[in-house]
Amino acid sequence: MKARILLICFLLGGEWVMAQTKITNTVGMEFVLIDAGTVVIGEFKPPYPVPADTVKSLPHDYMMYMGQGRGYNEKEFKLAREMATRDSKEGHVFQISRPYYMATTEVTQAQWKKVMGYNPSQFTGDSLPVENVSWKEVQKFIKKLNTLERHKAYRLPSEAEWEHAARAGSKKDIPWKEIEVSANLNKKTTVAVASKKPNAWGLYDMLGNVWEWVDDYYNEKLFADPEPPKKGKQHVLKGASFVGDVKNATYMTHAGGPGNGWDVGFRIVKGVEKNSK
Amino acid sequence: MTKAINVLIFFSVALSCARAQVPSGFKSLFNGKDLEQWHTSRTSHQGTVGNFYVEDGVITLKQNPYGQGGILLTNKKFKDFELYVEVKIDSFCNGGIFLRSTETGQAYQIELAMPGGTGSLLGEAMQISQGAEAKDIAKAWKANDWNSFRVRMVGEVPKISLWVNGVFMWEVKQPKNDFTAGAIEGMIGLQSHWTALYQAIPGGFNMPGAWRPGAAHRFRNIAVKEL
Repeated sequence: MKARILLICFLLGGEWVMAQTKITNTVGMEFVLIDAGTVVIGEFKPPYPVPADTVKSLPHDYMMYMGQGRGYNEKEFKLAREMATRDSKEGHVFQISRPYYMATTEVTQAQWKKVMGYNPSQFTGDSLPVENVSWKEVQKFIKKLNTLERHKAYRLPSEAEWEHAARAGSKKDIPWKEIEVSANLNKKTTVAVASKKPNAWGLYDMLGNVWEWVDDYYNEKLFADPEPPKKGKQHVLKGASFVGDVKNATYMTHAGGPGNGWDVGFRIVKGVEKNSK
Repeated sequence: MTKAINVLIFFSVALSCARAQVPSGFKSLFNGKDLEQWHTSRTSHQGTVGNFYVEDGVITLKQNPYGQGGILLTNKKFKDFELYVEVKIDSFCNGGIFLRSTETGQAYQIELAMPGGTGSLLGEAMQISQGAEAKDIAKAWKANDWNSFRVRMVGEVPKISLWVNGVFMWEVKQPKNDFTAGAIEGMIGLQSHWTALYQAIPGGFNMPGAWRPGAAHRFRNIAVKEL
């Protein structure tokens, strides 16, 4: 089937800009255009048990973790409700004012080798995501890629851009059934990128496979602040890895480096150029 | 005067019995004041912030905010070692001692859960080949009190042994090294389990029994002997 090139328009810096919805760069990375918009980050509403709940019907394997069939007493139910209510937060609205291209996959080892000439990964394979890369090494990769293509448009996404793209319009955190079909989890090694279902905006492995570095410094808190710290010891990691599970392979998990090394990679974004009319 | 000395000796002995000491030849992992030899895992599925602090000279693990646990890790990695630690655990809280843990918290784990499987050998965030159960723990366990754990872990294919309050529980030789990427060293970790998600979401279950609200696991006299 003949591929269709779709053109859409954006108001950028006071002028309308037309941009393709999909592009491929010189090292074979595919990108999709992510529209500007808003995303709420850090809406924390932990569920808590109520007296009607029972643990008696759970499978045996879970019983140990649930307190051997013992429910809470009245005082504990009350305390759980008070703590969950006390700690609940509405989150912050993040405005993403410019559209951007986001790589559809994590950077692969073939792509990394083309740019950098070596492969730091623990688990090797051209279509596997590159891992064992520090945030600083990633900056070197981006600098070299920009030099190769003679512009400065490539960079890491901000955490807000990453979460906006991962959610693909979803207001709530990801249902577990959806995690299972889209995320590579509970594996012994990384797996080939784009081997599971993409999200609604065509992005693969936003959850699972490797943790992804983003541009922001890490604030050592449960969620991002409205403004990321100006400096810090580590940078934020998003999306969990192949040794993660449904608890942390969610849009919301706000983690920090260094991770395990062998499960830390990245994906890049490309800014929409003003002259792309 | 003699009477005064006898009283002094009596209280000294009583105190030393009540507060057991690190065995000789072990190097302390805790100064009794702060967590300078430890850090919080920022990529654990149990939680990324942890509520870990020193109170009355003991390391205290609680949840904060509600539902979020975490893992406290030594800064240093160990290969072959003996670990000595005294623990006091509130009931209906699921925690554990991690052995050769990765930064994210894959580890061989000695379970801490009363009632439950305290002293069991489990895998945390990874499958292990051979588990173990501390069938005789009731003979050694002091309820609602401090209990000492001594763990020995040796070999690239690990052999792990456990004593609780000086009583031998089990020794397990794994048929293979179960660690991702074949790691042969790792951190010692202390865990508090998660109980709730960030939000109520379809298909997600919660584990309120894994950590009673407001409860704690406490640790003191943590020391290691590298072999």
